[in-house]
Amino acid sequence: MKKSTMILIALVAIVAIWGVSAYNGLVKMDESVNTAWSNVENQYQRRADLIPNLVSTVKGYASHEKETLEAVLAARSKATQMTIDADNLTPEKLQEYQKAQGEIGAALGRLLAITEAYPDLKANENFKELQAQLEGTENRISVERKNFNEVARSYNTSIRTFPKTIIAGMCGFDKRPYFEAEEGANKAPEVQF
Amino acid sequence: MRKSTYLSTSVQKGILFLLFLIVGYPSLLAKEYTIQEIPMVHLQDRTRYVCNPDGILSESAVVTMDSILYALEEKTGIQTLVVAVTGIAGGDCFDFAHQLGEQKGVGEKERDNGLVILLSTDERCIQFATGYGLEGVLPDAICKRIQNRYMVKYLGKDDWDTGMLEGIRAINGYLDGSMENISEEEDNTPLFIFLGVIFGSIILIIVIVSLYANQCPKCKKRHALQRISSHVVSRKYGVITSEATYICKYCGHQVTKKEQSGDPNYRGPRGGSTIFMGGGGFGRGGGGFSGGSFGGGSFGGGGAGSRF
Repeated sequence: MKKSTMILIALVAIVAIWGVSAYNGLVKMDESVNTAWSNVENQYQRRADLIPNLVSTVKGYASHEKETLEAVLAARSKATQMTIDADNLTPEKLQEYQKAQGEIGAALGRLLAITEAYPDLKANENFKELQAQLEGTENRISVERKNFNEVARSYNTSIRTFPKTIIAGMCGFDKRPYFEAEEGANKAPEVQF
Repeated sequence: MRKSTYLSTSVQKGILFLLFLIVGYPSLLAKEYTIQEIPMVHLQDRTRYVCNPDGILSESAVVTMDSILYALEEKTGIQTLVVAVTGIAGGDCFDFAHQLGEQKGVGEKERDNGLVILLSTDERCIQFATGYGLEGVLPDAICKRIQNRYMVKYLGKDDWDTGMLEGIRAINGYLDGSMENISEEEDNTPLFIFLGVIFGSIILIIVIVSLYANQCPKCKKRHALQRISSHVVSRKYGVITSEATYICKYCGHQVTKKEQSGDPNYRGPRGGSTIFMGGGGFGRGGGGFSGGSFGGGSFGGGGAGSRF
């Protein structure tokens, strides 16, 4: 009798210890998904911050390309209004976000395409460096997106595989969405040098 | 008659063309390296940073670059990896440079101050990849400016030596003095911890063994056993196995134990001692120069690239 209660207590203790460490592991992973998401948002923000400077530089040389310039600014203001809190990141919201950012990308692509016609602008040192920054930002965005997808994938795997899925179900750990591979609209603008 | 000569010449031309394809193809198509195939010279010799497997750069240019980059790392802790190859797998210069830095872990882990410089002559691209920690001191615009001002005009004329040297001098000008080398002491801490743990566990084992070694199995009293006799059972391959008889001071219980020890007179094929196995061990590489290591820095897509 005494021995069996001791075994029972020991078993409960083992399960409790496992449960706590599994829970803490999930919290840690959840936090790393949040961090990865805020890195993605930071890089998109960084691109948005470059746009006013880029637009005003282009305006100095190609003021009559009003339509294209305004399209970039419009896409920017639309996308910057949208920020998603990492905790309620749903597939629909992510898709919406991705679409808004994709419109900036497409508008920027058109802007850079028309600059081809202005050799003076292309020779401008300031414009060259802005282009380098823009290209670097696009690279950073793709790195952070990839990183987010990897972190989210390992988190999703761990909340859906067997023993941890019990803890995840009890404590409300939800699946996180991924960035989908883009088709056309959301493509990074081709930066020509 | 005329027709047949025409035919034969066209056949000859065809054969010549085929021959040209077969013979000329490998030399036209330069080797495309994957990330794993790039030889990491820095790992063999910590004073070297430039991987030049195809001999694109001259020996003297490589030596000059190595010495500039070694001085830079000594001063600032910034770790650089320069790769000059004829072709890269995939053909995406940014991605290749980024993956190189990320997978090899160029730069210190704490400060992410790695820098990768990739030159691919087939893709005709020069690409910098800066670690997270270098994005402030070497922003993308500066990378681009260095490439435009110092490198592209030489690289465009296939003057690889001048282009790369000028570029690395310019980078050194920006980075020199941008941060302090703090890695000296930190480098050794994991080793100290490792050694400390090993020594600690050895001492613990000795203490435990000495506590229980002389325990009498019957009355459980410690330091009770006294050796009364022993005789050699076997002498094989330099190991003496002997059987010793112990008696308990307190209860008179007798125990026989088998003991093994090294045979000092053994001159067999494995040398005098069986406890110390051979030479070698954990040296950090042989020869005159010790191998370096990459610190495990990570990259977030900083840097810039140019085509020429």
